[in-house]
Amino acid sequence: MNYKREVIGDNIGFSTIIDEKFNTCSLSVKFITELDSGYTAENEMLSGMLSMSNGKIKSFSEMNKTMQELYAASISGRTNTVGYTQVITFSASWICNRFALENENITESMLEIVHDCIFSPNTENSAFDSKNFKICQKCLIDDINSILNDKREYAIMQAKKTAFKGEPIENSFIEIEDAEKVTPESVFKAYEHLLETSQIEIFYVAPEENTAVSEMFRKGFSEITRNSRQYTIYSNSPIKAKPEKVTEELPVNQSKMILLLKSDSDDSYAMNMLSIILGGTPVSKLFMNVREKLSLCYYCSCRYIKNNVILIESGVDKENIQKAYDEIFNQIEEIRNGNISEEEMQAVIKAIDDSLSGVGDTPVQYVNWYFDRFCAGEIITPHQYFDKFCSVTKESIIDTAKSLKPDTSYYLINKEISE
Amino acid sequence: MSKEIITSKITGDSCIHVKHKSGLDIYIREMKGFSSVYALFGTKYGSINTMFRTSADKEYTTVPEGISHFLEHKLFENEDCGVFELYAQTGANGNAFTSFDRTCYIFSCSKNYTKNLRILLDFVQKPYFTKENVEKEQGIIGQEIQMTNDNPEWRLLFNMLKAMYHNHPVRIDIAGTVDSIAEIDADLLYKCYSTFYNLNNMALSIAGNVDEDEVLAICDELLKPCEDNGLETVFPAEPDEVVRNTITEKLPVGTTIFQLGYKCHTENDSEKQAKKYLVASIASMLISVKSSDLYTRLIEDNIINTTFDSEVFAGNGYFVVIFSGESEKPEEVRKAVAEEFSKIVQNGVCEDDFRRIKKVIYGSLIRQQNNVAVVASSMMNNYINSIGPFYDIDTFSDITSEDVYNFIKTELTPDKSVLSVIEKAGD
Repeated sequence: MNYKREVIGDNIGFSTIIDEKFNTCSLSVKFITELDSGYTAENEMLSGMLSMSNGKIKSFSEMNKTMQELYAASISGRTNTVGYTQVITFSASWICNRFALENENITESMLEIVHDCIFSPNTENSAFDSKNFKICQKCLIDDINSILNDKREYAIMQAKKTAFKGEPIENSFIEIEDAEKVTPESVFKAYEHLLETSQIEIFYVAPEENTAVSEMFRKGFSEITRNSRQYTIYSNSPIKAKPEKVTEELPVNQSKMILLLKSDSDDSYAMNMLSIILGGTPVSKLFMNVREKLSLCYYCSCRYIKNNVILIESGVDKENIQKAYDEIFNQIEEIRNGNISEEEMQAVIKAIDDSLSGVGDTPVQYVNWYFDRFCAGEIITPHQYFDKFCSVTKESIIDTAKSLKPDTSYYLINKEISE
Repeated sequence: MSKEIITSKITGDSCIHVKHKSGLDIYIREMKGFSSVYALFGTKYGSINTMFRTSADKEYTTVPEGISHFLEHKLFENEDCGVFELYAQTGANGNAFTSFDRTCYIFSCSKNYTKNLRILLDFVQKPYFTKENVEKEQGIIGQEIQMTNDNPEWRLLFNMLKAMYHNHPVRIDIAGTVDSIAEIDADLLYKCYSTFYNLNNMALSIAGNVDEDEVLAICDELLKPCEDNGLETVFPAEPDEVVRNTITEKLPVGTTIFQLGYKCHTENDSEKQAKKYLVASIASMLISVKSSDLYTRLIEDNIINTTFDSEVFAGNGYFVVIFSGESEKPEEVRKAVAEEFSKIVQNGVCEDDFRRIKKVIYGSLIRQQNNVAVVASSMMNNYINSIGPFYDIDTFSDITSEDVYNFIKTELTPDKSVLSVIEKAGD
């Protein structure tokens, strides 16, 4: 594998990852912007608007036909929250020219389409196309409504809303009213704002070099007046003076418990290892005790949310919530008291080692790895990253556990039982 | 033991197939340049296999719903330790799943694959069931059942299957019910284990950064030879008709979701069934792809959103073409789909659409070769379906628009359709 990153414009990075085992070419353009730009709902729609048509291929249907002719090539958009920023990703992927059955130049066609989607979108009079806009707006509203369909995700979202109240992340929870206020004109303004101000990271993963790709972006962005900003992607979330508890009732069969704990530690490696020991694997303390020993649940797990937050979740019967809660804190106490065996430390190191050794087995993994490292402000190899975990001591994990403070607890309770 | 190299005429990719002396079918795909390994050790045993006998049995045994899934959970407990503890020593990610027609034990790793393969082959061949560990699992699986009962997509599917199938056990939930799993005990688990976990009914599929000789040496060492037990699974007779055409349930959801299923005939011959699966996939894609007239019309009229999609769901004794998505007007979707098929029956399949969909399938198959897990899963899938590892890849190019036309005309008729809807509670 050959990785290189070059700067092709004002705050614009272009990373090339060449790995000859792949039979596809993948492009990922990531626009990083602030969460309080006033355009968060517009940006949610923008990722879809940019990928469903462009200045030459005007309709969604025509765009899809074109992708089919190019052997299931794909272009897609996605918007998500990374730390304290909003990231709008435009992706494209296609099979290499050597697999074309009729000698088509798939790569050339795709680069032209990508270029037009980003630099020459389907707009008129400073507004996006209204027909496509309506489709995207309905999808966004339906997406917001459908969060309730997945009770686990819904519970996590509700817990995060409380945990990050008053912080920029709060803006990432888009409400129906926000989506309804968006117009084709406001999406266009968001598009202009994004091109002008965002930090941009582009990734190209393919089996062989193609300088035409970086040149296309270099030229495209050189025609835009940039006034880019540098964003702090991660910073610690303030710990509440008094933990907040939220209970919501719905007619469900299984209750959900979400706990968010915050730390004042800056040691992200120790936090990460702590979360894995506590509830990140099927041999973790929560799995072995809350599930296996007490049979209270099907899942009880923990994960690290950068920068200083861990999230614990479980699905349990209402009458067992307190028992599960007590056992979770009992296990945290065990860690605080130094009850971490050498086997547990080794298991975490081995799991991390194994996982990092597989980085790069798919194009998406490569992009995720390098973008994640970029956001963390530390572009290092998986091997260097692994070394950092190896240097974490048991004592630092214990100290981190001691620094954890309950911040938010959220309970989704079976309505009939609670009445 | 017999060994053959099987090569796809379409992609040029090869795998090794070994019929091991133990009775196990082994599929190995060495993938140069990849770091990871993905392995599945699977049996043709899933939730539909509720009635069976071997050549040693006079009578058929009928077992409680959900027992194959229960057995999968229990195999992770050895007499001396849990299997996850063994994987923790290597860093691998171990898992398993049970579906309608299979149970598969999986590991993925980037290091120590030989150790992980040893763990996998060893624990699946070493059941340990006791009264205590069965009772403990009932609480855990009870919670898993409650969790899936809150999953509207899951309910949508099983409501549709219940409205479609009168007798076939595809209509029962994979995990069973809290009541049915209460009937499960250690003896029953051993009975199912000895019947279905016979190596003649199983396969190992492994792909990625592996060496064929190393894999086979470990198999030689650890696989315990099995006599073919003459396994016979039976299913009750199933009429062509559906139970009812519409089924609706109200749940606390944010959007109304639907599945429109067409009950189709199944083929007894596995290759015919596999070819029919491909034909059905093309038939459903003709109207569900994002460029189709139907899709364009429904999305522009705000009747569907971009979640609209289709799939084919088939196995031993069941075959369903499904259209699904979010819509506040699912009956309109049903009507529009039926009209679209009726148009095709009248006017024939559009050759240009057909040609493009074949390009899509070809491109997707090429892409799959980029992914170790997908390659290994695909080989296992084809074993379970009793077809060669590249049968589907190599067969799709032979499918004609006439095959697709005939399928639509004979199978996708409105009287065989079931519309399952989950509506918002309170509407």
